[in-house]
Amino acid sequence: MRIAIGLLNGMLAGATPVLLAALGGAFTFYAGVFNIAMEGMLLVGAFCAALGSFFSGSWVVGVVCAIAGALGLSLLFILFAIVLKTDEFVTGIALNLFAAGATTYLLRQLFGVRGAFTDAGIQAIPRVDIPIVAQAPLVGEVFSGQNLIVYVAALAVLGCAWLIFRTPFGLRLRAAGYNAPSLESSGVRPAHVRVAALLLCGVLCGLGGAFLSLGYVRLFAEGMSAGRGWIALAAVILVNGNPWGIALITLLFGLADGMGLFAQGVGVPAQFTGMAPYIATLIALFVYARRKQGQRVGQA
Amino acid sequence: MRQKLFAALASIGIALGMGALILLLEGRQPFEVYGALVALSLGDADKLAVTLKNAVPLVLTGLSASLAFASGPVNLGQPGQFLMGALAATLVGLSIDLPAPLMAPLLMGAALAGGALWAGVAALLRHAFNMSEFIVTLMLNSIADLFTAWLITIGGPLAEAGALSPRSPAIASGGRLGDIGAFNISIVVMALAAGAIGYVFHRTRPGYEWRMAGQNTLFARLGGCPVNRNFFIVMLLSGALAGLAGGLLVMAGPYRFIRGIGANYAWDGVMIAVVANSALGATVGYGLFFAALQTGALGMELLTAVPSEFIQVLQAVIVLVSVAGRGYLSALLDRLALRRLTRPSLDTRADTARR
Repeated sequence: MRIAIGLLNGMLAGATPVLLAALGGAFTFYAGVFNIAMEGMLLVGAFCAALGSFFSGSWVVGVVCAIAGALGLSLLFILFAIVLKTDEFVTGIALNLFAAGATTYLLRQLFGVRGAFTDAGIQAIPRVDIPIVAQAPLVGEVFSGQNLIVYVAALAVLGCAWLIFRTPFGLRLRAAGYNAPSLESSGVRPAHVRVAALLLCGVLCGLGGAFLSLGYVRLFAEGMSAGRGWIALAAVILVNGNPWGIALITLLFGLADGMGLFAQGVGVPAQFTGMAPYIATLIALFVYARRKQGQRVGQA
Repeated sequence: MRQKLFAALASIGIALGMGALILLLEGRQPFEVYGALVALSLGDADKLAVTLKNAVPLVLTGLSASLAFASGPVNLGQPGQFLMGALAATLVGLSIDLPAPLMAPLLMGAALAGGALWAGVAALLRHAFNMSEFIVTLMLNSIADLFTAWLITIGGPLAEAGALSPRSPAIASGGRLGDIGAFNISIVVMALAAGAIGYVFHRTRPGYEWRMAGQNTLFARLGGCPVNRNFFIVMLLSGALAGLAGGLLVMAGPYRFIRGIGANYAWDGVMIAVVANSALGATVGYGLFFAALQTGALGMELLTAVPSEFIQVLQAVIVLVSVAGRGYLSALLDRLALRRLTRPSLDTRADTARR
């Protein structure tokens, strides 16, 4: 039982940043933007969160800074890909490089350290106890006492699903990706919708980044996003952007992550357990490709 | 061609200007910093030799990415293929001891094979199950990184006994590349590899087929090119180039596999390909340019106390400005050229009216 609870907690912790980034990616996916800058946005978010929390001593400021930082990267994406019409793939690659370079440089410039920055002055995002649930046995141990951002992520799934499928904005969003000319002919500028999608992506990635540096640890390390933005992108592509699908699939990644931690406990080298999320992504991609192949055969 | 060169130089100029602005805001002297950068990367033959040696992995991973992007496959797996190439060269170098003329080509072959094999995994998954090579190569990067880290971790199967940091034992002396004068032999290998790939890509039939497939797969297929087979071959070649970069780095430098050996180079390959717009010649040029920046960075830090990490920011700014400027500037130049073309006709019309 203890193992199961540990596994579930590990799953939630592993899934949260990927989930937030993937939800951000869902907006851009629907809007028809090939956005691969989530990796950079997460990294900048994590850096700005640690920065804000360190200088202000408040995690709230840290989270706000994280969102602002990731939004800054979104604005750059908008400037290059939408205003200057640069290729989206190339813009994304360049922004990821920029994020890695800028965080490394600022880490050195502001804190005079290489590699990682940690300080007692960095305040972490608190855990939240839910009043009634907390008393319940077992259920309480999983559903209560999680980090605030975990709940935010769960609510974000609901919010995104509502926004995408139940509002006029969502309709325009999907139209921008599905058939931009017809959206344009109905009087809505697809470019504006794409800008909105990228800004939303920035906010969500900022939250995910804040969770990385202020969630269970209180430090920023170079390259801290460690491919989570890419896994998020894979998740978005696998389920065609559907928020519920994203939630499910990122929880599976989280489970792989949690199982990795568990396997480490029984003597499997950490490097192998660390491979778990990437292998899980490959397996998910495999299943997806098989299903698609099957569909094509069925249609023929 | 001249227009492209002008656009590239203008973009670099603008990017350097933005870098200078950052430096000014921090209260530093941009000219002093850039001067140090140039002096310490190209100042004399020794420094040039270091720059060229540092350019080897950049140019080769850049060519790996450019070759793939220009031919269709989205191979973002240079970091992993680089590590696997370095690992293969190290493994062979540890287990065999031959005289140098036999050993060096053998290790290079192993590095080529190692990189090609790792790219082959992605190509195979794409071929057999239609799994997107874009995501697969990315995931394989992380897996290769963790796998090699495990091999050389202290107490790991390939770790040097008694070493204080994660690293393998040194390879046999026959596999170590020496210098000709100040210049390392790996530079020659790089030049040969770049020449060979350029020849195949631009002057042979398979190269023509790859280029066609890169620009329009449907056209290539309708024209009768074996698109799937070409995809496979390009992936393997691209992986082999990245692997060679890793192998040469081991053979020319530390003579062993060290933790983080590829960290500074592998993504740079994709970056260079992106700036060069996947043109092979431009890839070599930008590879040399970025190598000069990175080589000068360390000296710049010593002379002017600007952290060498500044170069990472500068590189990213160069990439962004060049990529955005490419489209924008060429449109601008076209318009200018058009105006120049139309003006004489206006003048002549005025002349005829006057008459």
